[in-house]
Amino acid sequence: MKALVAIKLTYDVNQIKFDKEGNPILDSCPKVMGEADKCAVEEAVRLKERAGAEVTAVTIGSSKEHYRILRDAYAMGVDKAVIVKAENSEKLDALTIARILASLNQRLGPFDVIFVGSGASDTHSSVIGPMLASLLGYKLLANSDKISFEDGKFKVVSTLEDGQYRMEASPPVVITVTSEANEPRIPTIKDILRSKKKPIEEISPSDLGIETREVTLRNLTRYVVPRKRIKIDATENVEEAVEKLLKMLEEEGVI
Amino acid sequence: MVNFEFSEDEIRFRDSVREFAKRYIEPKWVEIDEKGRIPLDLIKKMGEQGLFAIPVPEEYGGMGGTMVMAAIAVEEIAYHDPSVAVAVYALLNNGWPLALALFGQEEAKMEILPKVASGDAFFGIASTEPQGGSDVAGIKTVAKKVGDKWIVNGEKSYISGVREIQELPEGGGFFFIAKTEKAVWSHKRITAFALLPKWNGKIKPGWKPTVFEEIGRHGISTGGFTLENFEIEDKYRIGEVNKGFYLVLQGFNIARTLVAAATIGSARWALDRAKEWLTTRKLFQGRPIASFEGISFKFAELYTELEAARYFVYKAAWMIDNTYLTKDPKFKPYDLNLPVAMAKLKAPEVTTRIYEEVLKWFGAYGYTKDCNLYRGWLGTFSYTIGAEGAQNIMRYIIARDVLGSEAVRNVWVKEEE
Repeated sequence: MKALVAIKLTYDVNQIKFDKEGNPILDSCPKVMGEADKCAVEEAVRLKERAGAEVTAVTIGSSKEHYRILRDAYAMGVDKAVIVKAENSEKLDALTIARILASLNQRLGPFDVIFVGSGASDTHSSVIGPMLASLLGYKLLANSDKISFEDGKFKVVSTLEDGQYRMEASPPVVITVTSEANEPRIPTIKDILRSKKKPIEEISPSDLGIETREVTLRNLTRYVVPRKRIKIDATENVEEAVEKLLKMLEEEGVI
Repeated sequence: MVNFEFSEDEIRFRDSVREFAKRYIEPKWVEIDEKGRIPLDLIKKMGEQGLFAIPVPEEYGGMGGTMVMAAIAVEEIAYHDPSVAVAVYALLNNGWPLALALFGQEEAKMEILPKVASGDAFFGIASTEPQGGSDVAGIKTVAKKVGDKWIVNGEKSYISGVREIQELPEGGGFFFIAKTEKAVWSHKRITAFALLPKWNGKIKPGWKPTVFEEIGRHGISTGGFTLENFEIEDKYRIGEVNKGFYLVLQGFNIARTLVAAATIGSARWALDRAKEWLTTRKLFQGRPIASFEGISFKFAELYTELEAARYFVYKAAWMIDNTYLTKDPKFKPYDLNLPVAMAKLKAPEVTTRIYEEVLKWFGAYGYTKDCNLYRGWLGTFSYTIGAEGAQNIMRYIIARDVLGSEAVRNVWVKEEE
């Protein structure tokens, strides 16, 4: 079985700082592999350990950090790493990314299973997996919180607002993995030291016959939930204050 | 060319240790200090993660890393267990395995080091005796060669890991020194050994341990033991006969650097807590406490001192790597004494000062057990007393190196008839 896992370089959400207006300060924020992407790599490596899959990791971009997250994927246990060297990867639209991955499937695959994160830690558009499945004609198991491979089938549990869905599909399949799916392994020092000696195959988008048009955002509306502060005085009557708090939380739809 | 940056490997390694410590050590550190032991499954997990024998070559089961990496690991672990018990466990099992790897015999290294690396055995240091620790040359424990074995009699005291080696599945032991000639007062008549009171799961005859009760970093045990006609096979001798003093001092240089790394990790945690407290705690019409210069200037001073101590630590670790691992001929073991002594002098003292101030900034809450700052304070205070070398010995080494041994009385070269 051949597996592909696509990973994205994104901001380290744990280290983002905000300015006075509440805008994230991104220039100085370290970049890492996305949280859900890490879980996707973990699933791919588990598949390698349990079902002998050969796992290739791919990322799109050309910076030093893009190479580093591929070495991180190597340290977690993938067999091969490929970088699609697009200079302007941050400005590519989702469809172009999906086309690159689909074309990579023809060049290096076909892959029986393609794992992607269910959403990137920064943009979280969650469309790469569905687009890719559609372009390739693969089945899609989206938003997977639990993933297993039994009797030649992938079985997943997906938690949505209205409940849990149990889905299964036999390969070829695209699986989008949430950051709840597993606890990604932490590479050991030996994994880290070995990973830097492993080869990273470089492919350019034009090798894949993809024209990488930059997309410029014209109107981006930021949706920010306004911060609400409600003060409840609990110094006099605690029970009353708790009642009040519960009522307010209910009104806000929190509980 | 000066470069103060960690390499990409070092940063990736630091991130991995940080993640590990956050996941497995931080949630347990208070319980570890409270219950007075590091769970054996955590030790095993640390072994699987490759946190022991980091600078030991892979051929001996080590991680093939560096001392800089060992210092990074110890600092990160101490940040997530500021009582420093887990960090001290880690530093002993990084520093002394490296000393064994550098100076031990091939067979012993192949036998001992993989088990230490995996977390199944402990390997620390046993040099101090009841009459004192700083006078290393003045030890009284005697090893006598009988046939192809050494028969050891004596007593060691204030030794870390005495309980752990009894509890670990394989056991473990110590980089150990004993007198091998009759002289009472000579550094030239000491031999080093790997002493393994419990090995392959069995306690050997002639070893009687006790465990002491201490005021801090309760997670790792400190105790003592007597040796009565305890047998050591010659394969466990470390280095040449009567050359042990020089070897144990080199081991101390390695371990002292890591002790300093542990204290700065704990101090960084304390300052991070202070930072949060001083910027969010508001008094006098809603002013954060940090707005008072009596506090913010002190914070600035301590922050600067801690950063200075960190430079000492990583410079010492880097020099050790150049001396023993990359073996750059410009670096000699003797040249390590000064930078290591400065790191070991500076780091624990800065750390203790930081705790004293931070505790006061936290007010009455700082003095409560709920606050947990005291655990870091008491734990790191141990390293202003001794552990891999007393602070006055560090001052002595620095004075001797800078002013010259003729000006500074050299206490250990004197020989008695």
